[in-house]
Amino acid sequence: MPGKDTMEPISADFEKELQALREKLEEAEDVRRAITRGEVDAFVVGPGGSGRVLLLANAYQRYRQLVERMSQGAVTATANGHILFANQRFSEMLGVPLAQLYTAPLESYVTVSDRARLSAFLMVSARDSQIEVELNRRDGSSIPVRLSLASFADGYASLLVTDQRPLQWPSVAVDALDSIRSSLGKLNQSLAGDAAGRDALSAIGEEINGLARMIDEMVDVEGSAERKGSL
Amino acid sequence: MTPENGSASEKWNLRLYTAGQSPKSLAALDNLKRVCEQHLPGRYSIEVIDLLKNPRLAKDDQIVAIPTLVRKLPEPLRRIVGDLSDTERTLVGLQLTQIK
Repeated sequence: MPGKDTMEPISADFEKELQALREKLEEAEDVRRAITRGEVDAFVVGPGGSGRVLLLANAYQRYRQLVERMSQGAVTATANGHILFANQRFSEMLGVPLAQLYTAPLESYVTVSDRARLSAFLMVSARDSQIEVELNRRDGSSIPVRLSLASFADGYASLLVTDQRPLQWPSVAVDALDSIRSSLGKLNQSLAGDAAGRDALSAIGEEINGLARMIDEMVDVEGSAERKGSL
Repeated sequence: MTPENGSASEKWNLRLYTAGQSPKSLAALDNLKRVCEQHLPGRYSIEVIDLLKNPRLAKDDQIVAIPTLVRKLPEPLRRIVGDLSDTERTLVGLQLTQIK
């Protein structure tokens, strides 16, 4: 048998192949190291690295917080309308605990007359499409909402749910306005013989009326003239 | 001092593969920017490829994990996987260790 000193010298081709294998091993080791150190949060899967990007769960955290805290409702449903995900706002709109919403049919929270339109909407799932329906609240009342298709992927529709009710003055603001009105009325009486004081009071009243009108325009409230006019 | 590869005036072309605004992607871009500003001021360009928007681009540089940084220029091509939080390793990976 040949000894070590009689071995064939390594060919250039073999050396090249060895180097290529070393580099591949280093790259694989680099990926393994990055994964074990938690330095990556997504992977490319599919033939030849040309497929899809899969995100690890923690990579969604930022979006999840955003979705949970936004003022619109958010729902992901199957094409046949079963709820797979809903945010807290949607739960509040319905007055139904989140846990009860998962896997429930979305149509069960829509008024009967709107259910056929909802089914058609979910089946077609045309991008950028939207419909307006009435949601049934747990307390028996209903809310007009606009359902907008945010995305449709893998057979699931992600919907944004926008409350269509006109904005209203918060009750605390109405109470504050009433309190100011009452105080101004008392002040007006106490200034019966003071023309200058009453003029100043009138100017204050006008300022407050102007402010109230501005707020009304911002929230688009109808029928609040009685609040403003009585100052 | 100069980098191991390329002259001190050579333009560096870096490509960072990200997945939208995933935390590791944001961290990698932040760390890369800091390293470049410190070691390659005025002579680098960073191209960010968001694979969530176009996953097919992963094929170009055989990307399997995200984030991944690819040094396109100066040659040879170098690849670093991860969020680049280990600055020393990033410098070694980019072969910038001799720049002080």
